[in-house]
Amino acid sequence: MRLVRKVLRVVMVCTLPAGISSCSNQSEVALDTPAFTVPKNFPAPVYALDRNRITAAGVELGRMLFFDARLSRDKSISCAECHSQPYAFTHHGHDVSHGIDNRVGTRNSLPIQNLAWSNSFFWDGGVLDLDLVPVAPIENPLEMDETLYNVLEKLRKDSTYPKKFKAAFGTEEVTTARFLQALSQYMLTLVSANSRYDKYVRNEGVTLTADELAGKQLFVQKGCANCHAGELFTDNKFRNNGLSLAFGTDLGRGRITEAPQDNYTFKVPSLRNVGVSFPYMHDGRFRTLEAVLDHYAEGVTETPNLDPLLKQNGRLGIPMTAGEKAQIIAFLKTLTDEEFLKNPQFIQK
Amino acid sequence: MLQSTDGHASSHFVTSAGKRSAISMKSILSFVVAAVLAFTIFSCSKTEVDSIDPNGTGGLTLEFDNYVGGTNMALGTAQYKNTAGESFTVTTFNYFVSNIELTKEDGTVVKVPNSYYLVREADPKSLNVALTGIPQANYAKVAFTIGVDSLKSQAPVTERTGALDTGSYGTDNMYWSWNSGYIFMKLEGISPASTISGKAFQYHIGGYGGGFQGAARTANNLRKITLSLGSTSAKVRAATTPTVHLIVDAAKALGGTNTISFATTPTVHSPALAKPIVDNYVNMFVVDHVHND
Ligand code: HEC
Ligand code: HEC
Repeated sequence: MRLVRKVLRVVMVCTLPAGISSCSNQSEVALDTPAFTVPKNFPAPVYALDRNRITAAGVELGRMLFFDARLSRDKSISCAECHSQPYAFTHHGHDVSHGIDNRVGTRNSLPIQNLAWSNSFFWDGGVLDLDLVPVAPIENPLEMDETLYNVLEKLRKDSTYPKKFKAAFGTEEVTTARFLQALSQYMLTLVSANSRYDKYVRNEGVTLTADELAGKQLFVQKGCANCHAGELFTDNKFRNNGLSLAFGTDLGRGRITEAPQDNYTFKVPSLRNVGVSFPYMHDGRFRTLEAVLDHYAEGVTETPNLDPLLKQNGRLGIPMTAGEKAQIIAFLKTLTDEEFLKNPQFIQK
Repeated sequence: MLQSTDGHASSHFVTSAGKRSAISMKSILSFVVAAVLAFTIFSCSKTEVDSIDPNGTGGLTLEFDNYVGGTNMALGTAQYKNTAGESFTVTTFNYFVSNIELTKEDGTVVKVPNSYYLVREADPKSLNVALTGIPQANYAKVAFTIGVDSLKSQAPVTERTGALDTGSYGTDNMYWSWNSGYIFMKLEGISPASTISGKAFQYHIGGYGGGFQGAARTANNLRKITLSLGSTSAKVRAATTPTVHLIVDAAKALGGTNTISFATTPTVHSPALAKPIVDNYVNMFVVDHVHND
C-alpha cells in the first residue's frame, strides 16, 4: 500500500482495479496518459488519493456525470452549467448562480480547480470531504432540486451507465459511493498549474513583464499573500475581508459553526484564474478586479470579526496607489492558465 | 419448549448474581462453581431448552413503538396537543439509533459492532431492529446513541452503507448536504399554531460536534441513552430471541425540560438551535416490557 501511495503521488495513475494493489496493465481500467499529476511547485495534495484511485475509466465516468443534466430534477441543468470551463469552471456572468427553473441561488459559484489541495469546500466550508460535495447541488432546491436516490435510479435504468460503472469499479452496480467517487476523480483532474506565473516560477523559459514582477512583489508587501498564501493562493482559512453588509447578511462560516466569532467570515478563495472567474466575492458583488482592489484600498468596512490584517495601525484597508493597484492586477492576470481553460480532455465530447 | 424462558440454570444465575455485590469473593467462587455445575447438569439434560452456551450467540430485537403522549402515533391524521397547549398532527418521525450496547447481569458490556439503524414511523419494518450474533446471556440493560457518532459522520463515502447511505433517503432526507452531517432526529407535522407557510413545523436535529483546523467545535447533540430492562432480563439463547419493547413518546421531545411552541419555534434546522429539543428527547425512550420468546 505504501508503495502504491508513493506511485500515486509521483506519477499518479497506474491501472488499479478496485482491491488489487499493484500496478499492472492488463485490466479494463487501463490508462495511457496520467490524468492527475502533482505540479512541481505545488505542495502534497490533501485529498486521500489512496482511498479513491484515479483511473481513466473513473475519470471518464465522472466527466459524463458532470455534464449530464439528468442529475437535475427536470433534466434541465448539469454541473457544467454552473461550472463552465472557459471561466475556470464558474458560472459566467452570474453574481449568484441560477439553477433549475432559473431560481436564484444565494452565492457566487466557485471555480472547480486544484480541489485535491482543498480541505474544505464551499464559501463557508460546510463540507469537509470532496466526495460529499455533489450531494449539496443535487439536493438544493435552488440548484438541481433532485434527490440523490432518484439520480442513482435514473443511472441504473440507463443503457450505458452500468457499463461505465463496471469499467470504473469492476461491476455494474451503481452505488452512492461509486457515483460520488467518480465525480471526484474527474474533478481532481482539473488541475490548473500552467499559467505564465507557474512557468515563470518553475523556470520553464517564461518571463514576466516589469509591471507583473512589481505586482508580484506588491502582492507580498501589501499583505495580500498573508491570506492568499502559497502556490494555491489561499491559506484555506475563513476570514472577513471587510465587505460591507449592504448587500445582504450572509453569515458565512458562522452559519456552519453557529459561533459568533465566525460570523461574516468566508473561505479565502484561491486567486488562480481570477482574471476569468468574475464576478468576485461570495455574493459576486464586484464585476472587475479594479473594483476588488478599490475595495481593499478604500472600501474595507469595520464589520464584526473584520480580520485584523485589514486594520493595521488603526487604518482600515490596504493603502495602494493607482499604479500599485494596476501592477497587482497585472500580476493576478499572470495566474490565468490558458491550457487549463482550453484543455479538450476536460469536456464531454 | 414453552418452559424454556424459565430455564433452571439461568434462573439460578439471575437470583444469585443479583445479590453478588453484597457477598464475598469466596462465596462468589463457590457460587460460580455451583452455577457451572448446575449449568452443566441442566445443559446435559436439556440442551435445546434454555441453557447458555458460553460460546454461542443468538438474537435480540429492539422494538420501537412510537407514541404521542398516551396515544399510539398515527401519521397525518391523529390530533395531539403539546405542553404549550397547541394542537398538531405528525407527518414524519424518524431517528437514528446507533452504537447499541447490551449489559449482562454481571455488568459485562457487549457492544454491537457497526450498529447503525434508522427508525422511521412510516416504514413498519424499520421499527424492529433485529440484532444478531449476540453472545448468549441474560441482559439487564440496553444503551444506544441517538444519532450518528463523529467518526462515522466523517467516514469515507465507501463506509457509509445501509442506514448511512446518503443516497438511500429519497425525499425523506436524513442528511444535511450543506453542513455535512446526518439528521439525528426528524419530527415534522402541521399545527394551526405554526407561523410558517402550510402551518408546518419541522424539527431537524443534528450536530456531531465536528471541529476544523483547531477552530471552535460545532454543537454536539449526540446523546447516549441507557435503559434498564427492569425485572425481566432479556435472555438471549440459541432458541430464544428476546424482544425489548420500547415506547418512544414523541411528545416528550416537545415538552418536559423545555416547552417547544410551534408558534415561536416552527422550525429548527441547525445544531445549536436544536439543544432545547435534544434536552427533551433524551427522555422519550422507556422500556415497556421484555418478552423472551
Ligand atoms: C445552480 C448552479 C450550480 C450547479 C448546477 C452546481 N453547482 Fe457547484 N457550486 C455552485 C455554487 C453557487 C457554489 C458555491 C456555493 C457555496 O459556497 O455556498 C458551488 C460550489 C461547488 C464546489 C466547491 C468548490 C470549492 O472550492 O469549494 C464544487 C466541488 C462543486 N460546486 C461541484 C459541483 C458538482 C459536482 C455539481 C453537479 C453535481 C455542481 N457543482 C452543480 C453552483 C452550482
Ligand atoms: C485578511 C485576509 C485577506 C487579505 C489580506 C486579502 N484578502 Fe483577498 N480575499 C479574502 C477573503 C476572505 C475573500 C473572500 C471574501 C468573501 O467573498 O466574502 C477574498 C477575496 C478576494 C478576491 C475575489 C476572489 C474571487 O474569486 O471572488 C480577490 C481578487 C482578492 N481577494 C484579492 C486580494 C488582493 C489583491 C489582496 C491584497 C491587496 C487581498 N485580496 C488581500 C481575504 C483576504
